Amino acid sequence: MSQQTERAAAPLLQVRDLRIEFRTRDGIARAVNGVSYTVEAGETLAVLGESGSGKSVTAQAVMGILDMPPGRITGGRILFRGRDLLAMAEEERRKIRGDRIAMIFQDALSSLNPVLSVGYQLAEMFRVHRGMSRGEARARAVELMDRVRIPAARERVNDYPHQFSGGMRQRIMIAMALALEPDLIIADEPTTALDVTVQAQVMDLLAELRREYRMGLILITHDLGVVADVADRIAVMYAGRVIENAPVADLYASPAHPYTKGLLDSVPRLDHKGGELYAIKGLPPSLMAIPSGCPFHPRCPQAQDICRTDRPPLYPVGPGRTSACHFWKETLDAASAADLAR
Amino acid sequence: MGRYIIRRLLQMIPVFIGATFLIFVMVYALGDPVGALFGDRAPDPATAARLRAEFNLDKPLYQQYLLYMRDIFTGDFGTAFNGRPVTELMADAFPVSFRLMLVALAFEIVFGIVLGVVSGLRRGRAVDTTVLMFTLVVIAIPTFVLGTTLQFFLGVELAWIDPAVSPDARFSELIVPGLILAMVSLAYVTRLTRTSVVENLRADYIRTAVAKGLPRLRVTVRHLLRNSLIPVVTYLGADIGTLMAGAIVTERIFNIQGVGYQLFQGIVRQNSPTVVGFVTVLVLIFLLANLLVDLGYAVLDPRIRYA
Repeated sequence: MSQQTERAAAPLLQVRDLRIEFRTRDGIARAVNGVSYTVEAGETLAVLGESGSGKSVTAQAVMGILDMPPGRITGGRILFRGRDLLAMAEEERRKIRGDRIAMIFQDALSSLNPVLSVGYQLAEMFRVHRGMSRGEARARAVELMDRVRIPAARERVNDYPHQFSGGMRQRIMIAMALALEPDLIIADEPTTALDVTVQAQVMDLLAELRREYRMGLILITHDLGVVADVADRIAVMYAGRVIENAPVADLYASPAHPYTKGLLDSVPRLDHKGGELYAIKGLPPSLMAIPSGCPFHPRCPQAQDICRTDRPPLYPVGPGRTSACHFWKETLDAASAADLAR
Repeated sequence: MGRYIIRRLLQMIPVFIGATFLIFVMVYALGDPVGALFGDRAPDPATAARLRAEFNLDKPLYQQYLLYMRDIFTGDFGTAFNGRPVTELMADAFPVSFRLMLVALAFEIVFGIVLGVVSGLRRGRAVDTTVLMFTLVVIAIPTFVLGTTLQFFLGVELAWIDPAVSPDARFSELIVPGLILAMVSLAYVTRLTRTSVVENLRADYIRTAVAKGLPRLRVTVRHLLRNSLIPVVTYLGADIGTLMAGAIVTERIFNIQGVGYQLFQGIVRQNSPTVVGFVTVLVLIFLLANLLVDLGYAVLDPRIRYA
């Protein structure tokens, strides 16, 4: 097989056993401990997890914007169309950034440059990556603003970020990420900083444009509601590991990891109104001292002796499904039973 | 914008009156200008009284002030100790100090900002530590020590420059004095730039700029510098007034006949019209420089709009 066809056959993005640590004054924080996930072209992968689970850090490593130091990639590979991003020269990598892989950040107000007009910041993409003239790039910026449905784009192209509302600013962030029609977009909690009413609009817009451009999307979130609507697959992260990876429908129907089950149970439900909200007991572990065995065992309602001593590998639990729980079978069965009873 | 400028100009009036009145009170009420004219000799009472009447010194203080302000607005700043009108002294002194200020400002902008940016980008490295040490040393050494030392080595020992600046005060002669004058501010500009760069390096929009795949130089110049220089420009603008007025030591060392030199002469010889006149003009320069800084601030930072 020639190298070309081999590349075409390779998945869009493969993160393989990625390990990242941060050297801090108090010691080494192991933020990412062997994360693996795959995104196929045109697929949406939701990465779910609490703060500190390593979901954002992994994304930053993919993007190549990790602060190093204090961050340090100690192992693993990140393959984009079969080529290892971590082995590339910085200049080669820069050309991929923004062009083939783009990122949408959480807080658009602080993520946009306050002293440059939004038109300039959008046009910059075309000028730097496509070598367009100022005027040409400006025209494309207006087109983009139209594309993400910013009213009166032509008049507003010279406005500054602070002159837009939160939702409009996030649309500009999306426009910036879409500018060069990348193959992969990483959206790091793109709607967290927005009002609930605006959240849905922005999320719908993102999903719609992703379909239209047939892009891969990594959606980093802790919002289970958002995930159900737009994601194809879900990777649940805990203490710097993927602990469950499954197609979205399977995971919602029957989680194969107690942590995932806990997350699903903690979503407030109308039919439980008045009842107490479920919460996973305890706190996420410190990244300086991750528990032995299964890192979730101190909080797990069904932990056994083996969970304290042996770290569970990712067990294959079904077609395209993995779970890092020694008792995935019991969890899965219990979930199915509960589902049937409902 | 226009209304803002008008409002600011109107606000200057009370500040101007207050500042000049204070100077006037201090100089006229505390000194004895007539006595000073006679030096060590006791003045003849009749002549002294005549002079007092001529210069309105026999009137109440507020009247003296009003009369003085009236004279100023007709362009009469009084007479200096050597018999020349103060306005003539100003016409000679201000251009000289202005050139000296420009040289000093150029040093601050070029070296202060470059050193600040370099040390900010290399925070914690050897370059950064060296630059910080250098700024501390510069701030700690008094201007007259540094000035006279440089004057001695460059002017006397090596004879690269003239130890004293000619009355023409050409730009080429003002390079070393300008550097001396700039030194302390230069150190502050360096530190301010460094702090600002370090702070902005952590900003989210810099991360965005990197994620956009912009080349490093573009990230630094267009995104980082543009934001980091806002406080620095403010400082530089405010420093213009200080450099014009605060050159007394430097101008004395190099015998530059600028504002500081004339002010010093005026104080030593207790010549009130010189002191009050020069300080009045300096107050005006300060006020205008501050207005320009505030307007420039709005140009640099679009989040600030004056209405």
